[in-house]
Amino acid sequence: MGLLRYTGYRLLQAIPVLIGISVITFLLANLGPGDPVSLMLHGQEHDQELIRAIEQRYGLDKPLHERYVTYMSGLFRGDLGQSIHHNRPVADLMLDRIGPTLLLVLSAYAFALVTAIPLGVLAAKRRNEPTDHVSRLVALFGVSTPSFWIGIVLILIFAVTLGWFPSSGLIYPWRPPSTYRSIDGHLELYYESFRHLLLPMIALGTLQMATIMRVERTQMIESLQGEYVKLARAYGVSERTILRKHAFQVAQLPIITIVGLNLSTAIGGAVLIETVFNINGMGRLFINAISQNDYQLVMGITMMLGTLFVVGVIITDISYAYIDPRVTYGETD
Amino acid sequence: MSSEPLLRVENLKTQFFTDAGTVRAVDGISFEVYEGEIVGLVGESGAGKSVASMSLLRLVERPGEIVGGEVTYKGETVFGLEEGPDGELREREEMLSNEAVRERIRGNEIAVIFQDPMESLNPVFTVGGQLREVIELNRGLSKEAARAEAIEMLREVGIPDPEERYEEYPHQFSGGMRQRVLIAMALACEPSLIVADEPTTALDVTVEGQIIDLVDELQAKYDTSFIWVTHDMGVVAEICDRVNVMYLGEIVEQAPVDELFHDTKHPYTRALLNSMPRPDRTVAELEPIEGVMPEAISPPSGCRFHPRCPDAREVCRRVHPEPEEVARADSHPHNAACLKHDAFDVGYDGSAPLEGDPRTTAGGSGGEGGE
Ligand code: SF4
Repeated sequence: MGLLRYTGYRLLQAIPVLIGISVITFLLANLGPGDPVSLMLHGQEHDQELIRAIEQRYGLDKPLHERYVTYMSGLFRGDLGQSIHHNRPVADLMLDRIGPTLLLVLSAYAFALVTAIPLGVLAAKRRNEPTDHVSRLVALFGVSTPSFWIGIVLILIFAVTLGWFPSSGLIYPWRPPSTYRSIDGHLELYYESFRHLLLPMIALGTLQMATIMRVERTQMIESLQGEYVKLARAYGVSERTILRKHAFQVAQLPIITIVGLNLSTAIGGAVLIETVFNINGMGRLFINAISQNDYQLVMGITMMLGTLFVVGVIITDISYAYIDPRVTYGETD
Repeated sequence: MSSEPLLRVENLKTQFFTDAGTVRAVDGISFEVYEGEIVGLVGESGAGKSVASMSLLRLVERPGEIVGGEVTYKGETVFGLEEGPDGELREREEMLSNEAVRERIRGNEIAVIFQDPMESLNPVFTVGGQLREVIELNRGLSKEAARAEAIEMLREVGIPDPEERYEEYPHQFSGGMRQRVLIAMALACEPSLIVADEPTTALDVTVEGQIIDLVDELQAKYDTSFIWVTHDMGVVAEICDRVNVMYLGEIVEQAPVDELFHDTKHPYTRALLNSMPRPDRTVAELEPIEGVMPEAISPPSGCRFHPRCPDAREVCRRVHPEPEEVARADSHPHNAACLKHDAFDVGYDGSAPLEGDPRTTAGGSGGEGGE
């Protein structure tokens, strides 16, 4: 019961934050340099009547606060306005593109967690032994190397030179296999999907992996020195159980925080990785929107990123409260 | 005493190999624990009491290592070295393996009550779950039986509503209640010996009194032997049958509790007793022990207490006293490691009092000498 109420409480708290995000986004998009109307006119910038007509059509002739209210009331109905460049509803464009980005980000996280947690635990267990030193080097490399560079190197080695993996595009496992000419059957679809995903996933996930691995190591070392570990040893609990249960459970709490708070970093990284691997995701849509001054689209995507970040924080808090019994649910408990 | 002791510790040595040098935390201590008695291990912090008690379970963490001596429990060699044919020390053949110590000794034969009730329970598991796990492991009970036993033990140590509290987490318990949980954990394993490592130090005085009463009561009921590690002579007087006084890794005096209090043989023990708050003394009458205990990494020559000893003489700086029997009481020996006793024939009486020793700090009355 406490958890449910806490969730509701946190969601309510998010509302003012989201409103703040919308105001700032709106102001930046509308007051920033570049004029979408003149961009649309391609050389007919002096036709005042045309300008007025376009301004009227997109509501640009109204005062700023009125435009904000119109925008927000549209937002509540799921209407994010019309993309000027694509001449399609922003919401539709985003829906088309969110799948690949989510697939990329989530698999990058899965890759990061699946590799980083065991490696971090191992490094902690073999502290100051060769395993630990190697893991430190890997982490240093992961933290200090830009993801797009890793992506390019992966392409050069595994796609261009060895030809093991494709260098661009994604295959979406949720589409029917018939969408792709060369694929028959679901099994092949999943296999191809994985083959396409592997390199961009590693490129995007390496930073997360390195970060999580180091935190995991530190946390495990600290946890293994805890009094409760001494107690477990004194009562004959095996080292294996101590490592996997007693020390491990305590050490995971900060990992949740990292995953939640790094979500925005990961999405930011996805923008670059999508460009490197030629993936038609949200990131590329965003970059193009910015360069095309498609302010409705920019606003829509920014709003979505802001919301994702807030949701990430809330999910972090809630899972923290769920896993760590010491966290009390605000004043309600 | 004629019967075999439950636990015999002989010349136990535990050292820590640090960058700064070798710390001789436990430096050749010997003592016994008989069935049903509470044996005190007393000394200031840093004397090596905790390391000594953890050594009994072979629970010394790196860079620490047990380097010598023998620990015999119920006739089994928990630790023992012998000289091999190459002259190197090696583990004796009958010494229990790591696995055997873990499975057969820790918990089910010798259980520990730890010092810090706030940190010793795992914060992310329920109190009941932690109890149950330990009971399952050490008593070989099924989950359900272990659960029932855990609830029973919580009731036994005076925790109200044990069924509900079973499901709660450590942070929902007060310090005193957590210490009761730790006591329940130790007793639930049905060990023959419980090592209580300063179990009341972190608690306030009222709670401390309650916990000591509880242990007294349960000890009488279960007839478990205890090693009670503490720095507090008051607690020793209240609970112990026999006492070992430790100073800088050595046991300097060993006697039944009444004998120790009434016929103190070692100046360090006397200093400890004099520094103890008592109802019949004002604060001004308390005599703190002079100076601070030196580091075990470079212990003073001769008698390790000589820089702080009011009775120190020149000979104390040269000759290192091993404990000798200086009296007997209740068929137990009264051992002391102090040269001023006749058992040590090294010319203490003819030796000049030590004066102006640079190691004597704060006021330095270190040289009145005489008996
Ligand atoms: S041997 Fe000397 S210095 Fe040591 S306790 Fe006895 S009198 Fe004091």
